[in-house]
Amino acid sequence: MEFWIELVVSVFLVAGAVFVFIGSLGLAKLPDFYTRLHAPTKATTLGMGGLLAASAILMTYQQGHLSLHELLITLFLLITAPVTAHMLAKTAMHHKLQITEKTVDKELSKRARERNTPT
Amino acid sequence: MNLLWVVLLPLIGTLVPLLTERFGRNVCAFSVALLPAWSLILVLMHVGEIFDGEAIRQTIEWIPSMGLDLSFRLDGLSLLFLLLILGIGLLIILYARYYLSDKDSMGQFYAYLILFMSAMVGIVISNNMIQLWMFWELTSISSFLLISFWSHKPDARKGARMALTVTGTGGLALLAGLLLLGNIVGSYDLDTVLASGDLIRAHAAYPIALVLVLLGAFTKSAQFPFHFWLPHAMAAPTPVSAYLHSATMVKAGIFLLCRFYPALAGTDLWFMIVSLTGLITLLLGAYIALFKHDLKGLLAYSTISHLGLITLLLGLNSDLAAVAAVFHIINHATFKASLFMAAGIIDHETGSRDMRKLNGLMKYMPHTATLAIVAALSMAGVPLLNGFLSKEMFFAETLDQSMLGSLSWMIPLLATVGAAFSVAYSLRFIHDVFFNGEPIDLPKTPHEPPRYMKVPVEILVALCLAVGIFPAYLVGDLLHAAAFSVLANDVPMHSLSIWHGFNIPLFMSFLAMVGGITIYYNRRHLFEFQAQFNEPDAKYIFEGAVQSLIKFTQRIMATLENGSLQRYVFLMLLFTLVMSAYPLFELTQNAGSRPQLPIDGVAITAALLLIISAIATVIWHRRRFLSLIYLSVVGLIVSLAFAKFSAPDLALTQLSVEIVTIILLLLALYFLPQSTQKESSNRRLSIDLTVSALIGCVIGTICFAMLTTPLNSISDFFIANSKTGGGGTNVVNVILVDFRGFDTLGEITVLGIAALGIFKLIAKMRIYVPTRDDKGRPWTKDRHPLMLAMVSQSLLPLALLVSVYIFLRGHNLPGGGFIAGLITSVAIIQQYVANGVLWIKPRIKVDYQWLIASGILMATATGLGSWIFDKPFLSTWFDHFHLPWVGEFELASAMIFDLGVYLTVVGAVLLILANLGKLTTSERVDNKENV
Repeated sequence: MEFWIELVVSVFLVAGAVFVFIGSLGLAKLPDFYTRLHAPTKATTLGMGGLLAASAILMTYQQGHLSLHELLITLFLLITAPVTAHMLAKTAMHHKLQITEKTVDKELSKRARERNTPT
Repeated sequence: MNLLWVVLLPLIGTLVPLLTERFGRNVCAFSVALLPAWSLILVLMHVGEIFDGEAIRQTIEWIPSMGLDLSFRLDGLSLLFLLLILGIGLLIILYARYYLSDKDSMGQFYAYLILFMSAMVGIVISNNMIQLWMFWELTSISSFLLISFWSHKPDARKGARMALTVTGTGGLALLAGLLLLGNIVGSYDLDTVLASGDLIRAHAAYPIALVLVLLGAFTKSAQFPFHFWLPHAMAAPTPVSAYLHSATMVKAGIFLLCRFYPALAGTDLWFMIVSLTGLITLLLGAYIALFKHDLKGLLAYSTISHLGLITLLLGLNSDLAAVAAVFHIINHATFKASLFMAAGIIDHETGSRDMRKLNGLMKYMPHTATLAIVAALSMAGVPLLNGFLSKEMFFAETLDQSMLGSLSWMIPLLATVGAAFSVAYSLRFIHDVFFNGEPIDLPKTPHEPPRYMKVPVEILVALCLAVGIFPAYLVGDLLHAAAFSVLANDVPMHSLSIWHGFNIPLFMSFLAMVGGITIYYNRRHLFEFQAQFNEPDAKYIFEGAVQSLIKFTQRIMATLENGSLQRYVFLMLLFTLVMSAYPLFELTQNAGSRPQLPIDGVAITAALLLIISAIATVIWHRRRFLSLIYLSVVGLIVSLAFAKFSAPDLALTQLSVEIVTIILLLLALYFLPQSTQKESSNRRLSIDLTVSALIGCVIGTICFAMLTTPLNSISDFFIANSKTGGGGTNVVNVILVDFRGFDTLGEITVLGIAALGIFKLIAKMRIYVPTRDDKGRPWTKDRHPLMLAMVSQSLLPLALLVSVYIFLRGHNLPGGGFIAGLITSVAIIQQYVANGVLWIKPRIKVDYQWLIASGILMATATGLGSWIFDKPFLSTWFDHFHLPWVGEFELASAMIFDLGVYLTVVGAVLLILANLGKLTTSERVDNKENV
């Protein structure tokens, strides 16, 4: 395998792995639900995106033709992950989960709680 | 001639009244009579041949290897019964036209009646024992329908149930007996069986077969101790009583005795059982009949008594007695049917059947009275009427036997006593109803019935007279032919004349007359004597027996099936444990010779996750949502395991099933209590833990042993033939749609039925919908968040594209109709979740039930399609094609089959989930709506 391909694949792999790791670490360490919500979304979008990009490049090189399956997976992840996070946040708001002390502008959360999706 | 048509014409005729009912009563009755009349003409065309001693046979092969043929035979006995069934049947059709009121559904009545007629015709012309039995059961069922025709009356329902239970049980005994006979002889063909009488009688199983067949005959012909159902069957409309309970159905048992006479009769056992049963029935029926105040009740017991008389004659093992029995069948049918019809007229025109109220009707309906009196005199055995002739023969036969040794003299004595009672109740019928003062507060003023209602009675009474005066001329040939086929050899000399000179039978007749008159004259003393006894009502005894049987079974069921799911699972697991652990004791070595895969980090992680999440599911089982999340982890790991063990199809399926299951469980949990207390005792917990741990160990051991043992399965065949035989490289899919396509067809049918069943269960369900969760928080008002809704909508086409892709590549790569169906379902369920039922309703206008049906039909049609090309069911056709731009591609008929699978899966999943989901919304299914 050519060196530069190996390099690119490695860079993507390492970057993806770092994001997944940070995401997992954040999930464990961050103080409240809202902040914890950030972490796994990074892991699914950026982290998985990096790993899938690495896979796409490697497969394209090995099979000799463009491998686009990974792109499709990325696309689905990019569409669904924010929605999942959104729904989780909405649920948390509805359940009035505790917000950590350090949060800035708590008024906003109150207003958001009272607001509903326009129908 | 086509004998098949003799039975087929009435059978088709069952539909006629339903079609012609709307054209009025006359048209309906006339059209109903046409086909049976045609059938009767077909029979009459062969009278000449039958009288010459021939029998006409016809066989249509059905499953010859199992001895099952459609086989018919028309001989003298069949001819006699056919004349009774079809002839009296036609009269009954005419009679019923006037008997039924406007409120009764005429079409329904005639349809049941004709169905019964066809069944009777089927019995008497069957030449195959199994076929005979089938028609036999059909008479039980159609008579059940006829007795319960006035189903608003509890009497009718109870009577019908009793008749069906008794005759149905007898029918089962008969089936056992016939199978035994078939086993002894080696053929179900009646000709063969009747010709092997010596073989049967010498066989060790003869007593069992005889008793079983006799049970069938005695229950049907209301012989003691099974006679109790017949009086209760009198709750039926009178045409039914006249037809079924005097002329035909109760004679089916007698027919059976006659039919099997050559094969079964002639032994001491036959004599003991048949003649004694007949004698007891004769006496009991005649005695009770005298005390019945109900007109039809009297006739019913008199019928029982006369049936006993015929049975007694058949049991005497003498050729002449058999001739007398056949003769009495004719005579009894004519006078009893006419008496029943007369009773029906009286009931119809006076509104009562109580002989304590009915008096002096001679004045009001002289015509009917005359007819009834003649018929009743025939019943009593008065000279110049047909009843006299057969009774004379009967007396002669009772004198001519010595079976009871030195006690044989009792039989003629008891026969005379029975005949005396017969005279007495006939006198009571005549005197109480037509003379004896004035009627006592009848609901209606009695008057003559419509002209044509009397015609059937007139015809039958005329026959009684004519046969009584010119017996040899009118029925000599018929009797000879019928007796010939009963005896299966030459008929002994008998003389059908009125005057035989002064002899003992005449003296017995005279004694019976005098005795009967004396009994009737002193009836008050007898009634007083009888009133001392508490007459047991068979209805209560029977109901009591049925109820205690039900209670008994309920007790058994309650101990076995107490409604505790935990207990069922526990017992099931325990049984599994015992069954699967036992063979393991014999297995000395667990590990087989197969090399094990190298252990890597991923596998270990997955295994640990699997173990941890399984344990977590159990630990947190009372926090249901948490437990459900752990359960989904288990499912996910299992799918991954399938993928690792090179089963991508299975992994894909498991993954989609997992999603559907989780949605289903979420929906179900929504309706269940949000929190649960600890219910099990510690003792219970430890027992359950022990059992499940043991099960886990056993199953784990089996899995290990299975996975490490090289197995020589048929999969090599599938792999080798998948491409050449099925046209696909994905063996799993080719197995599903081709090699074992028939299995798949069955499975999707089951899936469809299950989905429909679940739909029916939940469609009308009204269950408590919680408005808050367990912490008292209300549901959010934002039911369908905009973002989720929008993204779901935009994902739908993508998801559908994926499912099409998975479907199309299924034959060659992992995928196929089942997985594609699940993906489509999940995609649509997602829309339900995100947008709600109200949004979906105007957009997806597919009836899911219809989808299931069309899927199964499509799969079946694919299978049937191969018949057009003279191939076996579900043969696959495939070929390769070339199109510009698209390139080379393959078309296979299996794809249509797979499409059927796809549609069924989509329909089934959505039918269940969408309807269960609907329960949570205001869009519940109403009675009028389906989906």
